[in-house]
Amino acid sequence: MSFPIQVRLFRLCRGSTVGSQEDRLDDKPDNAPVNALETLPGDLIMWVLIVSELLVFGAGLAAFLSVRITDPSGFSLAQARLSPTLAGINTIVLITSGFLAARALNLRLQARRSAARWHLAGAGALGAVFMALKVDEYLEKAGEGISTETHPFFTFYYLLTGFHAAHILAGMVILALVAWKDDPGDMETGTAFWHMVDLVWVLLFPVIYLLG
Amino acid sequence: MIHDATTRAWVTLMVLSGASVLVALTGGASFGGSVAGALILLFAWMKARVILARYLGLWRAPAWLSGFNWVLGLYCMLLLGLFLAPDFIR
Repeated sequence: MSFPIQVRLFRLCRGSTVGSQEDRLDDKPDNAPVNALETLPGDLIMWVLIVSELLVFGAGLAAFLSVRITDPSGFSLAQARLSPTLAGINTIVLITSGFLAARALNLRLQARRSAARWHLAGAGALGAVFMALKVDEYLEKAGEGISTETHPFFTFYYLLTGFHAAHILAGMVILALVAWKDDPGDMETGTAFWHMVDLVWVLLFPVIYLLG
Repeated sequence: MIHDATTRAWVTLMVLSGASVLVALTGGASFGGSVAGALILLFAWMKARVILARYLGLWRAPAWLSGFNWVLGLYCMLLLGLFLAPDFIR
């Protein structure tokens, strides 16, 4: 049987092969050495995505603080135009959403499918609340005449929070899909995406809104 | 006492987030911007650890969890260095 190269590479990384039956991972003896990648919980490709996203946002935040070195007072004045309290409320909303997503997976693994779906719906709804507060924040800034051109602080602010918001929207769609087709493996991958968005926010929030 | 690890992680994240905002709003005046910045980044690192361990399930893979903790810890130290750099350059 022929497999695309991506599938072959993926399976190779997981320690399995696409070859004959006797080559397969399942046939390894119990005391065979474990591939380090096999110890990662969930889907390997999701971890590749998580590390990639951390690198992208991590580079963005480091660039933000690097540019700040050239104009710390300007960055401080620009940051004073943001509301750390509102961003803190949004952090609580997102963290609670992640909590519901984590509980949804636990419930699904206990075969409590309906409860799992309701928890995912709650997680998605809180994602919508996060987006509503974010849009309100953007509209307020637009009303004050603040754009990406106003100051380098706001260029990074719109770029990083906007890119993160795009991930929230994608995550809401993914949560809806795994609530509908509630295979446990898919749900684990879908909720991992949501936790990744959560993880990025807990690094982004203090740097953009609090450090000043 | 909360026995469920997921709920305990959520409470920890809530407390750390609240503490971050509190330090940002009052810390600069109380004990200086540098200490406030260090505390805020310390809390961010602790929150990232909780999400990785409890929500993303790395508690089941201690070697990976330790690796992520180290890298994120070093990254937060880099951010702290960049944050404090203007004070040293001046």
